[in-house]
Amino acid sequence: MEFFSQTYVALRGPTGAPQTPTEIISKLSDRLSPATLLADRRAAVLSLKGLARDCRQEVGEMALPGLLDVLFNDAEVDAEIGKAVLETLDTLCDTEDVTSGSRESGFKYTDKVVASDKTTHFLFALLADSYVRLPTLQFLTTLLHNRRQVIQSYFLTAPAGPGSIIAVLEDKRDVIRNEAITMVQALISQSPDIQKVLAFEGAFEKLFNIITQEGGVDGGLVAQSALTCVDGLLRFNNSNQSYFRETSLPPVLCALLQFPVSLDIQTTAPQEFALQFWDTDKQANTSLIVGIMGMLVGSKGHGVQETLPYTRCLIEMALASNAPTALKIQALRLLPTNINFPLSEISLTPYVPVPDTNGEEWDRLELASALDALIELAIHGEYNGLDAGKRTKESLELRTAAASVFENFVRKDEIRQAIVQSMVPPEDPDSPQRSRTTPLLHALASPPNTASALEPADVISTHIATLMFSHLLRSSPRAKASARLIIPGPLQPTHDQASNFFVPADGTPAEPAQEEPEDEDEPQTLLQILTENLSLALLSRSRTNASDREAREWDRYVVGYLCLLSQWLWEDPKSVKDFLDAGGLGVLVEPINQTSEVDSVVPGLCSFLLGICYEYNRQPGEITRATIHPIINRLSVDMLIGQMARFREDERFKSVGPDSIVLSFPPPSLQPSVKPAVGTLDEGEIWFDWAFVDFWKSNYYTVQRGFSTDPDQLSSSAGMHLSEELNGHHADLLSGQSAEATMLIASLRDVIRQQTGEIESLQKRLNEVNNVESQVAELQKQVESLHSQLASSETKRKDVEKEQEDLLVLLDEVTSKRRKDKARLREAGLEVSEDEADDDDDDDDEE
Amino acid sequence: MAGITWHYVFKFIITGDPAVGKSSLLVRLTDQRFLANPDPTLGVEFGSKLITIPEDNKVVKLQCWDTAGQETFRAITRSYYRGAAGCLLVYDVTSRDSFEHLRTWLADVRKHADPHVSCILVGNKVDLCDEPTPSGASAPPTSSNSPNTSSSASSIIKSSKSSASPSKVKRRSREVSYEEAELWAKQEGLLFVEASAKSGLNVEQAFVDASRDILEKIKKGVFDDDRSPGVKQSLPNSALVDGSAVKSTCCA
Ligand SMILES: Nc1nc2c(ncn2[C@@H]2O[C@H](COP(=O)(O)OP(=O)(O)O)[C@@H](O)[C@H]2O)c(=O)[nH]1
Ligand SMILES: [Mg+2]
Repeated sequence: MEFFSQTYVALRGPTGAPQTPTEIISKLSDRLSPATLLADRRAAVLSLKGLARDCRQEVGEMALPGLLDVLFNDAEVDAEIGKAVLETLDTLCDTEDVTSGSRESGFKYTDKVVASDKTTHFLFALLADSYVRLPTLQFLTTLLHNRRQVIQSYFLTAPAGPGSIIAVLEDKRDVIRNEAITMVQALISQSPDIQKVLAFEGAFEKLFNIITQEGGVDGGLVAQSALTCVDGLLRFNNSNQSYFRETSLPPVLCALLQFPVSLDIQTTAPQEFALQFWDTDKQANTSLIVGIMGMLVGSKGHGVQETLPYTRCLIEMALASNAPTALKIQALRLLPTNINFPLSEISLTPYVPVPDTNGEEWDRLELASALDALIELAIHGEYNGLDAGKRTKESLELRTAAASVFENFVRKDEIRQAIVQSMVPPEDPDSPQRSRTTPLLHALASPPNTASALEPADVISTHIATLMFSHLLRSSPRAKASARLIIPGPLQPTHDQASNFFVPADGTPAEPAQEEPEDEDEPQTLLQILTENLSLALLSRSRTNASDREAREWDRYVVGYLCLLSQWLWEDPKSVKDFLDAGGLGVLVEPINQTSEVDSVVPGLCSFLLGICYEYNRQPGEITRATIHPIINRLSVDMLIGQMARFREDERFKSVGPDSIVLSFPPPSLQPSVKPAVGTLDEGEIWFDWAFVDFWKSNYYTVQRGFSTDPDQLSSSAGMHLSEELNGHHADLLSGQSAEATMLIASLRDVIRQQTGEIESLQKRLNEVNNVESQVAELQKQVESLHSQLASSETKRKDVEKEQEDLLVLLDEVTSKRRKDKARLREAGLEVSEDEADDDDDDDDEE
Repeated sequence: MAGITWHYVFKFIITGDPAVGKSSLLVRLTDQRFLANPDPTLGVEFGSKLITIPEDNKVVKLQCWDTAGQETFRAITRSYYRGAAGCLLVYDVTSRDSFEHLRTWLADVRKHADPHVSCILVGNKVDLCDEPTPSGASAPPTSSNSPNTSSSASSIIKSSKSSASPSKVKRRSREVSYEEAELWAKQEGLLFVEASAKSGLNVEQAFVDASRDILEKIKKGVFDDDRSPGVKQSLPNSALVDGSAVKSTCCA
């Protein structure tokens, strides 16, 4: 303070008249010249530093060159002047201040400073000087913040080299070390070369030293920025990832989370890992470590063996720990899509909080396999279903993340087959057996509660179960065949059976008793039960007294069943037959017919499923394609296609993305009519998962085309509506053709697949009855007939293909003829119709 | 996270002009593969491999960095030299220029690396040449004693052609003879080998030769004061034992 007054006195002219800042700054700038005494220069810099904030413009314009000269000449000699000049420069280049013009001038002065590599090189060299390290680092951070790429390129040619950076990371003074981490974080950003050379120089070791010194995950902000640096050195950098695994550091990541590195399959994770005290800093640091682990697990070039401890750690954290939900979601999402981990062989110990202990006491649940715990988490939610009814977005994210891991896990056909097969009851012709009731099966098959108010937790359990069961069946004929045999055991109703006889106030009669699976002698298959549950849900949703919110819950049930059934029945005539025999047709038709303006999801899905039933109804039976055809005509193909088009436009369908299936509730469109319950501000909901959206998008067109085929036609009839199609829609026809060809091939392939399956099973039986020659002969005959069937379908397929080719040729001829004709018409001065001309344009574009 | 299974870790760097095959040598060493059209953006610039030096019955872990060969990065390339125990100076036997430029690269190494760094000169891409790699074999077809400017000019044309359609290139003429390179290596005190990342010939050999040289120096006590940052010896008790890693790093 005293110093300032001195300077000002010195600067006040001989008359003592006060001067303008411009005059003062101009005088001070002159004094920066090397000709003046060091003490004067120092005084001038200190004054300018004081003025830089308020008179940035003037100081920058007049003093910047002089300040840089002082930096080069004096900073190494005199720490005080060095510190002051660095701080002044830092102020001038600062762009954090967003007031008018301030950012712009910050960039302007930065550009002047980095116009050549001289200053930057000098600054990196200056890091060796421990007295001015802090302001040097701060200034470098500012420059990096403003013009990162320029500084990075200068760094690559700086004589001081990366060694200087490593040295500052080792500085004993915390402030300096922390500032160094911040600077390094910016320096390595998006520069693989800098990342690599710093790793070579030992940056990993230095950063981990800092992290452990600070106390690991409890190390607060410093550990957090050091971990961010480690992440920055590794992400998208193959070389550094390979090098990192060469170091002794990979196990340290586990150790930081209290997770034992070498935990064999049979051993369960220790409680000190599972149960910890959490705060936000610790959560942030843990999240960074989890992120790094996930990156290393997911990147190629790492042996599975090598990353196994990480995978295990992520799984344990997600399924059997008291880590914050956000961390569990992150851990699950980071498991690789090709997850190759023996989930069913790992045992873990889930925990639940003891009520009213504020998260300080925990009960240990029974040992469970990781696979069971995963399914449990998806179906019932965290901590054994505690709070499952609340439907916070976070809890739904967690449960759907678990369902996605399940989806990835069952991608392998043998795994999904094994899981489905385990639900099939043992064969016993004398007394038909029931399936073992698993949580998945139970949630899937439990009838919706039609008696009292819907329990939100039940709806979501069943819904998620339909999603997961779809993952098991989708495009697997074998799994579908096994699933048809599932006969769920008696289901413990979640609510009192007796209340089923409750008659609602509006007098709607209760469901007929026969719909209840009470008839123990005639156990129902899963497919029958699902059909019945669908029907039940559709009836309940149309009850007039249901509130908006309740109706929406019924819709959710309906959507879950319809999506599962669509994927189950697709390409599977036997399942279609089972569904139709269970009364599925009637169930579907009604909602399509009773359309209301508001609802597009249910009619659209019912139309879709109806189309699938028609398309794949290829088994002899009571309800044939000829039975369905008139119904389709009655409803009208246009209407069905319209319903499907409306479905596609529904927000609930449109807003689903590969990584975002949890939507906000209430949705923006419903805000006014559906009030969220108090205290559930972050409520979410699920309708579709990405797998279904994908399935729909790949197949809806085939289904639409199918509506128009005649009952006796094969799924793709080449000659259909030829004349109509030629009438100006040939582009459409072309794509239709290929879609149908695909469909035909798919269905033939399916026949072949089924037959192969049958041959397989026949051969198995063949082995069993090896000795019984007559049987063998008979079976062989069967095999032969299957072979010939196979051959004949093959021939059929070829014929159809040929027919299609011919058609295309024909089409081509017609098209070109038409074009010629039109040209002639135009030449003759005749008008050619608008849309036809458009058509031609399109053609031209395509060519 | 496998256990430590080595007696020594040697840090190696690979330098030389762009396109002489540095990355290819590294990939060949670590993955036993050759990519005709390596993707430069893929950045395989670090690799490691365990080798055994039979005479000493020692297992050595090689950690190799392929340095960025661009002129603009020279400054940063130098920091790799400082930390290296071994250095592969690579040229392309069909490119005179790449050989000539090694003088500068070697000068850099001399200036910045540990004085005891073991260097090996590697003439890469011998598969492109007619004759089998000699060890005292007959003189190569191209004259090597007086390389004139026109021959190097023609090589530039050739090589640019070849990069346009590498699959059509069968063979290019040798522009650096074995004898000339051997002589230069001797004068400069470098080990020498001709190799091919494509066929794999002598690739591992180059690293083994250099590692043996480093081991000799260790035996002679050159590194007793632990000065070379590029050599690390496993701790007496933790060698070949799993799980020591956490301890040694946490309190390093
Ligand atoms: N014929 C042949 N080509 C090679 C050999 N080594 C590398 N190449 C090719 O030379 C080109 C440059 O190789 P690269 O490894 O990227 O060189 P770098 O720039 O030094 O890393 C690539 O097209 C390689 O396929 C070799 O031993 N023989
Ligand atoms: Mg390369």
